[in-house]
Amino acid sequence: MSNEALLPTSSGAERPKTFREFVSAVFKNVYVLYTISIISFLLLWDAASVLNLLGKFLPRPMEVVYQLYDMFLNPLAGKTLLEHLWFSLRRVLIAFAIAVAIGVPIGLSMGFSKYVHAIVKPVFDLFKPMPPIAWISLAILWFGIGETSKIFIIVIGAIVPCIINSYNGIRLVDPELYDCIRMLGGNKRQEVIEVTFPAAFPAIFAGIQISLSMAWTTVLAAELVGAREGMGFIIITGMNVSKPAMIIGGMVVIALTAWAISVAVTHLERWVCPWKTKLE
Amino acid sequence: MENKAGVKKPKIECTNISKFFGEGQERIHVLDTIDLSVKENEFVVILGPGQSGKSTLLKIIAGLYKPSTGHAYLDGKEISQPGPDRGIVFQRYTLFPWKTVMGNVEMGPKLQGMPRKQRRELAGHYINLVGLNGFEKAYPHQLSGGMKQRVGIARAYANNPKVMLLDEPFGQLDAQTRYFMEQETVRIWETEKRTVIFVTNNIEEAVYLGDRIVVLEGKLPGKMKKIYDVNLPRPRDYTDPDFLELRHRITEETELTL
Repeated sequence: MSNEALLPTSSGAERPKTFREFVSAVFKNVYVLYTISIISFLLLWDAASVLNLLGKFLPRPMEVVYQLYDMFLNPLAGKTLLEHLWFSLRRVLIAFAIAVAIGVPIGLSMGFSKYVHAIVKPVFDLFKPMPPIAWISLAILWFGIGETSKIFIIVIGAIVPCIINSYNGIRLVDPELYDCIRMLGGNKRQEVIEVTFPAAFPAIFAGIQISLSMAWTTVLAAELVGAREGMGFIIITGMNVSKPAMIIGGMVVIALTAWAISVAVTHLERWVCPWKTKLE
Repeated sequence: MENKAGVKKPKIECTNISKFFGEGQERIHVLDTIDLSVKENEFVVILGPGQSGKSTLLKIIAGLYKPSTGHAYLDGKEISQPGPDRGIVFQRYTLFPWKTVMGNVEMGPKLQGMPRKQRRELAGHYINLVGLNGFEKAYPHQLSGGMKQRVGIARAYANNPKVMLLDEPFGQLDAQTRYFMEQETVRIWETEKRTVIFVTNNIEEAVYLGDRIVVLEGKLPGKMKKIYDVNLPRPRDYTDPDFLELRHRITEETELTL
């Protein structure tokens, strides 16, 4: 909502008197500017396509829409667009659940105990910078090209932010909050329940959020190899059959899904952490 | 104002307290041989500039720090750890941001295992006392600085502590709010008397609030410099000639430059 005040409007309460004022009011509305931005992008894209600026493999925006519509109705490799999307989403959700179930406890125990931290940290630091895609070959050798190897790769990608954020969440609790709860008569157990967990919760939740978007990014990489369904499969198929509209269509659906997930998670966060201010 | 009720045994007694932080070369001498005794229901202000160890002294009485030498006693028993018989109010408020005003104030009784209905009633009483009725369901981030500190005071009171420890509680407030909170502090204290130890770096605040003012030396290690009895009637007036005279005297004699 506050976006609307991005540009100063000519005193919102008064109605514009002249045509000039009306036009200037319209162009100061941020949503109008958003629309202009998207339309000009599509126009530039269309022009680039019509003028063959990138060779013959840049479809016009309308062709992408037709392609999406076609895939929505007619199965590709036996499945419609929504079914492909569902396969990808299912992999993401399973792997994400596994990553949270393993990663958060690891991070928490690292935060609670410096012994656990000292034992886990060197190994974790070694694995942390490895891009999850680097595991693909090994995963296929270990688990074959079925679901297990894909989920394994996604878990590898999604688990890192869970561990890091849970650990930091515990470690960065304001020490004065502990002083406070101890002065109020809290024992060790009450310190953990009443301070550590609630204070660390926003950081842990942020980690889970990052983890989910990591999972969504990694699923595509996992599906680029040996998948027979999913959004990654659509993109690879588009390349194999030289249909750039299919590739771009897949990319658009992926972006929209990622956006929908992030909106949903933000709402979830407002519901579970009502104490967090909007600006944070 | 000397204690009206006559002779009383000391509520808080500090004997020969020194405090060092760190080891070897890094060692910092923060407090040097502090002797202090505070009577029941007395309002004692510990006055000193920044870096005079006054907050450290308060935290030793709170039991959050252990003294390097010497002892602190509450009712004749040595203070060795934090506990609900001392209520503390922090300069940075340090409220639980995930708890409402009610949730913050009832925390102490909740930790002692008081049943929900009873502790809600108790917390409600203290929320009223500090003038926050109607804000029970607000979260700390929705409150102004002055209101946050009222929550801090109510939270400390709700445990029915023997001693209230306030660590520069109004240091972050603007001047107007600060005056108002000082008046409120006196009002609350007169409604529900407690032994109070109040740390500040503000001479005017000290003279307005204290029965006694303990002045600490202006640089580390903190030493007791002087103790003043404030015999002005309450409610005090910031512009009363006697008030101003005492304020001036403290400034002159202790060479506090704040």
